[in-house]
Amino acid sequence: MMKILVGYKRVVDYNVRIQVKPDGTGVVTDGVKLSANPFDDIALEEALRLREKGLAEEVVVVGIGPSDLTAHLRNGLAMGANRAIHVVTADAVQPLTAARTLLKLVEKEQPGLVILGKQAIDDDANQTGQMLAALWDRPQATFASKVEIADGKATVTREVDAGLEVISVDLPAVVTSDLRLNEPRFIKLPDIMKAKSKPIDLIELATLGVDSGDHLKTTHYAAPAKRSKGVMVKDAAELVAALKQKGLL
Amino acid sequence: MTDPRLADLQASLPNLRLLTEPGDLEHYGRDWTRRWTPAPLAIALPSSVEEVQEVMRWANRQGVAVVPSGGRTGLSGGAVAAQGELVLSLQRMNRALAFEAADRTLTVQAGMTLQQAHEAARGHGLIYPVDFAARGSCSIGGNVATNAGGIRVIRYGNTREWIAGLKVVAGNGELLELNRGLIKNSSGYDLRQLMIGSEGTLGIVVEATLKLAEPPPPSQVMLLALPHMDALMQVFAAFRARLSLQAFEFFTALALKHVLAHGAQRALDGDYPYYVVCEFDAADEAARDAALAAFEQAVEQGWVLDGAIAQSEAQAAALWRLREGITESLAPHRPYKNDISVRIGAVPAFLHEMQALLTQAYPQFEVVWFGHIGDGNLHINVLKPQALADAEFIAQCEQVTKLLAATLQRHGGSISAEHGIGLVKRPYLESTRSAAEIALMRGVRQVFDPHGILNPGKLF
Repeated sequence: MMKILVGYKRVVDYNVRIQVKPDGTGVVTDGVKLSANPFDDIALEEALRLREKGLAEEVVVVGIGPSDLTAHLRNGLAMGANRAIHVVTADAVQPLTAARTLLKLVEKEQPGLVILGKQAIDDDANQTGQMLAALWDRPQATFASKVEIADGKATVTREVDAGLEVISVDLPAVVTSDLRLNEPRFIKLPDIMKAKSKPIDLIELATLGVDSGDHLKTTHYAAPAKRSKGVMVKDAAELVAALKQKGLL
Repeated sequence: MTDPRLADLQASLPNLRLLTEPGDLEHYGRDWTRRWTPAPLAIALPSSVEEVQEVMRWANRQGVAVVPSGGRTGLSGGAVAAQGELVLSLQRMNRALAFEAADRTLTVQAGMTLQQAHEAARGHGLIYPVDFAARGSCSIGGNVATNAGGIRVIRYGNTREWIAGLKVVAGNGELLELNRGLIKNSSGYDLRQLMIGSEGTLGIVVEATLKLAEPPPPSQVMLLALPHMDALMQVFAAFRARLSLQAFEFFTALALKHVLAHGAQRALDGDYPYYVVCEFDAADEAARDAALAAFEQAVEQGWVLDGAIAQSEAQAAALWRLREGITESLAPHRPYKNDISVRIGAVPAFLHEMQALLTQAYPQFEVVWFGHIGDGNLHINVLKPQALADAEFIAQCEQVTKLLAATLQRHGGSISAEHGIGLVKRPYLESTRSAAEIALMRGVRQVFDPHGILNPGKLF
């Protein structure tokens, strides 16, 4: 029976209107609701369902981030993960660093399946899963909307531009979750109590020997340009004239 | 448009938008109650204060009754026009007029929806804190007319607390500017407050100056499952002692059944008799720990059996839907609605009596309980069995309402907590207000609207 590793990132909540800091050094996170990356909630839900079906015996949630990320990982434990690994770093983590870090954990934990969100809604990079599969030299099945495990293989329905694609990959493999894979459960309050006694391993990123040098430098954050106000036209003729003037007709 | 009265109106106001098509008369002639057949004379949709004043002068001249109309989401028939009245809809007067940063007020036209007011306030980095499920349709004018309450009363109070000023066209067409945004104004009767909750019988609110507040810190939403009704007020006390509550709402298993059948997402695996949705400030880990401590205490005492907590705004909305979706999910069952309140201290004893009364009185009906238990406000909805005719069903319910009113009177409660009296609760006003009070109210009305033009037949 296999172990499933799940990436569990914390981001600014999907429903919060993002505001850029006045000095352009980032987005405002103080006093802002932080939640699990929605795709990671889906990834964890899928792992829990596989375990509940008897297809896995252990679900491990992994987070990479500052010391207060532990509270967030407790939510993953309350949702049902068996244990958590918190890779501690105060620095922002880019996809390649995340993938290299996950590879170290994969080597240590030897999971049969890694499920990650297809992307995180903060940087929308959509890279970590693919990079991990390449570094690990194992198959990947991204944008999953259905996952079935049997005979050492995962049969995954993928949401692709042309519709749905079904592929079969040998395990161990990396699966990334799309929106329609499942509806994550609510965390039950009694499970929050139980989660308090579940183990969380703390590992300093520096001790993993991961090259975490920033490959990309962020120079400035800015809000998108505001849409200019619409103009009212009197009739169709004026509309046509306005469009022609803008070179759109 | 052959009616000479309407011809006179159109002559006085050639640009007034006036509707007389049967579909419009039906649409504008009723609210969310479905007990009366709409039969208004016509629908006027003025676009300015001057037009509203002119309509009122015309109504006095012609002796036509006027029903002020907002979003018509009312549940007491206060906006029903079934007697040949003119419906005066404020729908087109829905703009924000002025934001005063120093005063933290937003002046809006009365036809603006509550949701638009929320959005306008948020645009200035502030909130207008009155909130309830009908927000997308109900109007500020209607909120003022009923002193609307809702789901945040426990923290912020009713509409009454958030109105800094009102512009009102009185029954005789005179324009009144009441309180003008002043915080302190000790200069005689506060006519603004008299207008609030007057259900369109004293004047037509055309503009309101809303007080705005700082947005609350990030919050968390919990769903709690309770074993019996006695636990409700104990859980409330335990949570209120440890947390800064923004809302504390309850509903029964039967309410949950209907809202789930209407498409809401199940949050707990088991089935329980009673549920609470509560929202509280959770700016930091300490607040979250306090919430868990309250939950632990409640479980140890046997007051709570299970619970869930939202992990995201989306899940918070899903938990809220379990409570806010109830009214809509019950609508197909043509419920008979009771909206009652007692002092918080009187809730436990009152609940006991009510439960006994309703079990005995309605053995054959489904009775759905929910409401703002933290405010002492209960909504008790009796669902109509399909086979039963409307009139017979209402007649049976009215018998029970008499008993309910008597119980309320004993506990010093109110027959209408936040829906208003309208047409529906008019026969029971005496259970909540003394004869002397009602006589005074009639006297006040006489002063504002000497010809009884405004919303006659409502309230008393």
